[in-house]
Amino acid sequence: MIHESMHSRDSGKQSLGTTGCSQAQCRRSSVGFSEWSLASCLKAVVNSDSEIIARGRSGYKAAFPAFSISCLDAAIRPDDSADANMQSPGRSHAAFPRLAAFFSWISTRHRRADSLFDVKTSLAEALELLPVAIFAVDHNDRIAFANSCLAEILDYTREELIGARVDSFFPSDCDVDSSFPGLNEDHCRHTFDASTTRLLAVQRRNGGSFAAQANTVECHMHNRPFRITALHDRTGYCEVERSGKELAHLVRVSSLGELTGSLAHELNQPLTAILSNAQAAKRFAQSDTIDRMELNEALNDIVLANVRASEVIQKIRTLARKGDIDLLPLDIGSVVDDIALLVHNDGVIRDVRIAFDVGADLPKVYGDRVQLGQVLLNLILNAFDATKDCSPTDRTVETTVRVQPGGGVRITVRDRGHGLAPDQIDKLFMPFFTTKPQGLGLGLSISRMIVNAHGGRLWGENNEGKGASFHVTLPQRQPREEDAARRAS
Amino acid sequence: MSQANARVLILDDDALVLSGLARLIRAAGHSVECFDSAEGLLDRTDLADFPTCLLLDLQMPGMNGLDLQRRLQRRMPIIFLTGHGDICSSVDAMKAGAIDFLPKPVCEVSLLAVLDRALKIAVEEFNKRREREEIEERVGHLTPREREVMALVVTGRLNKQVASDLGASEKTIKIHRARVFEKMKTRSITELVRLFDKVQVRDAE
Repeated sequence: MIHESMHSRDSGKQSLGTTGCSQAQCRRSSVGFSEWSLASCLKAVVNSDSEIIARGRSGYKAAFPAFSISCLDAAIRPDDSADANMQSPGRSHAAFPRLAAFFSWISTRHRRADSLFDVKTSLAEALELLPVAIFAVDHNDRIAFANSCLAEILDYTREELIGARVDSFFPSDCDVDSSFPGLNEDHCRHTFDASTTRLLAVQRRNGGSFAAQANTVECHMHNRPFRITALHDRTGYCEVERSGKELAHLVRVSSLGELTGSLAHELNQPLTAILSNAQAAKRFAQSDTIDRMELNEALNDIVLANVRASEVIQKIRTLARKGDIDLLPLDIGSVVDDIALLVHNDGVIRDVRIAFDVGADLPKVYGDRVQLGQVLLNLILNAFDATKDCSPTDRTVETTVRVQPGGGVRITVRDRGHGLAPDQIDKLFMPFFTTKPQGLGLGLSISRMIVNAHGGRLWGENNEGKGASFHVTLPQRQPREEDAARRAS
Repeated sequence: MSQANARVLILDDDALVLSGLARLIRAAGHSVECFDSAEGLLDRTDLADFPTCLLLDLQMPGMNGLDLQRRLQRRMPIIFLTGHGDICSSVDAMKAGAIDFLPKPVCEVSLLAVLDRALKIAVEEFNKRREREEIEERVGHLTPREREVMALVVTGRLNKQVASDLGASEKTIKIHRARVFEKMKTRSITELVRLFDKVQVRDAE
C-alpha cells in the first residue's frame, strides 16, 4: 500500500526519490540521499504518534519480511541515545516538531557511516513509508521529491509533481491565518534546527484548497540546499476552531436570551422617559404661556434618556457580536460596569441584591471586552441561579474587583446560595456538566477557556460561611503583549 | 371632577422615568408628588389628608410594587406601570384591587384616561372616608346608654318598646333619644338611620 515503484524522471539530473522497494529487497537510489537505516527513520518519529508507528511497523514488515520486527521495536523504544539527541528542552509532543527534528537529524546523520541496523535504505524510501505528505524543494523552488501521500492529497501523480514549481500548489506560500492559535505563539517563533511551522493554503488539482500545517526544515544534501516539508491537513482543526467560536457566540446569545425580560425593561425605562417628556413638551408648547425652562428640561431629559437607551443597545450588540478575539488594553472596571447594567434588572426581577465593588487604581489588563464580559455575565447569572431557593436575606451576589497581589486583577463573584457540592467542584468546568434543568453545561467550560486564553485563571470554591465564590485572575498588561497586538492588527 | 387638592403619587426607582412622568402629569393639570422608593412613600404619614392615587412601578429593588400594594391595604387606587409585565403579576395586581396595569412606555392618552378614573375613585373614597370619620366622631360622643338607645331606635322600635327592651321608663328613653339626635346632628329618624348604616357598614368591613 505504501510502496510503489518510483522512477527517476531524468537519470542525468540529480533528483530525490528515485527508488523503488520490492518485497524483501531494498534497492539503493542511484542519486539523492545517502544510505539510511529504516529503523532509524521510524525511530525519529517514535514519540510523535502511535498510529504512525503502527503503520510504520506494518510498512516495514511488508517491505522487509525477512527481518525481525523485534529489531524495529528495539529501535523505536524511547530513551535511545539518538532520540535523546533530538530532544530539545520544552519541546511539545506534537508530531510535527518531531518530524522536523527527524529531517534535521537526517541531514546531520546521513554523513555518518554508522547505523543501527544492517538494513540500509534510502531516505526517499523512508519518507515513502511515512504516512505523512512530504516533499522536498530545491533551491529553484521546484519540487525535487514528493511521496505518494502528497500525490494522493493533491490529486496529482508524482510525475506531475516532480519538477513543478512549488508555488503552484501553495499559492503565495504564506500563512492562511495569521491568528491561527498555537502556531504564532508556540511554533512559528519556535525554531530549532532551522525548522519552521506555518499554516498554508494547499491547492488541489480541482482548484479546491484546504488548510494544512507545514513543517519545513532546511538541509543540505551533497552541498545542495533543500527544503523538506511535511504537510498535515488542518481543515478539521480550523473547523473545530470555528465551531469553538460559534459555540462561544451561542452561549453568549443564550445568556442574553435569559436576560431578554430584563433587557426589555432596561430599554423600556428610557423609552418611557422619552415618551412622557415628549408628550409633556408638546403640552408646554401648546399652552398659552410657554414655560421655556420646563420645556428645556423636558428636551434635555429626552436627550439623556436617548443616550441611555443607545448604551443599552450598544452593550447588547457588543455581547451578541460574532467575531474573533479582540485583544486590547482594557479597563476591567468598565467591563464590570457594562455587565452591571445588563444584569441590574434581572436582579430586581429575581429579587437578588447585587453589589459591585470595583477597587481603585486597577492596572489595565490585556483582553477581549466581549469575551471577558461573557465570563462575568456567566458567573453572575450562575450566582443568581445559585441563590434561587434561598431566603430573601441570602439572595445576594457581590462582585468585587481588586488588584491581585503580584500583579494583575482578581474578579470575584460571591453568592450566599447553596454552595458547591464536594463532588461537583471537580466537574464544574467540564463541558456539558450542569446542575440546571435547562443548562447547556457549557458556560463555565467556555469561561475557563476564555480566561486561560487571556493567561489568567478561573476557579470556584465554597465560602467559609454560605455560598460559593468564583475567582478570575487576569495578568497585568505586558509590553510584549502590546507587540503581539500590533502584529495581530 | 378631581378635587383641588387631589394628588398623583408616582413611584419609580428610575429618576429619568420619574421626572418624565411627573412632567407629563403636571402638564395635564394634576398635582404630582414623586417617590423613588416604597419605603419613602410608607414613611409619609399625611397621605390620608388628601385624595391620592398612585402610579407604581412594578419592578423595583427592595420592596417591589406588589409588596407595596399589600402594605397599602387599598388605602389609595393604584395604577401599575411595568417594563415587562408577566401574566402572573398582572393578575395578582388586579386581584389586589389595582385600577389598571399599563405597559411601559405608556402613551399619554391611556395614561391620563386611567389617571382620571383613578383620581375620581380617589376623591370619592376620600369623601366617603371623611364622612364616615365625621359620623364616627359623633358616635364617639354618645354615652354607652345612648348608643344602646340609638341601636334600637334605628330598627324602627317605638320609645315604649325601647323602654321595655332596656328596662327603663319611656320618659328616660325620650331624653336619651333627644340627646342622640342632638349629638348626631340630625333631626329626622331617616337621617339617623342613614348615618347609622354608614358606620355599621364600616364595622362590618
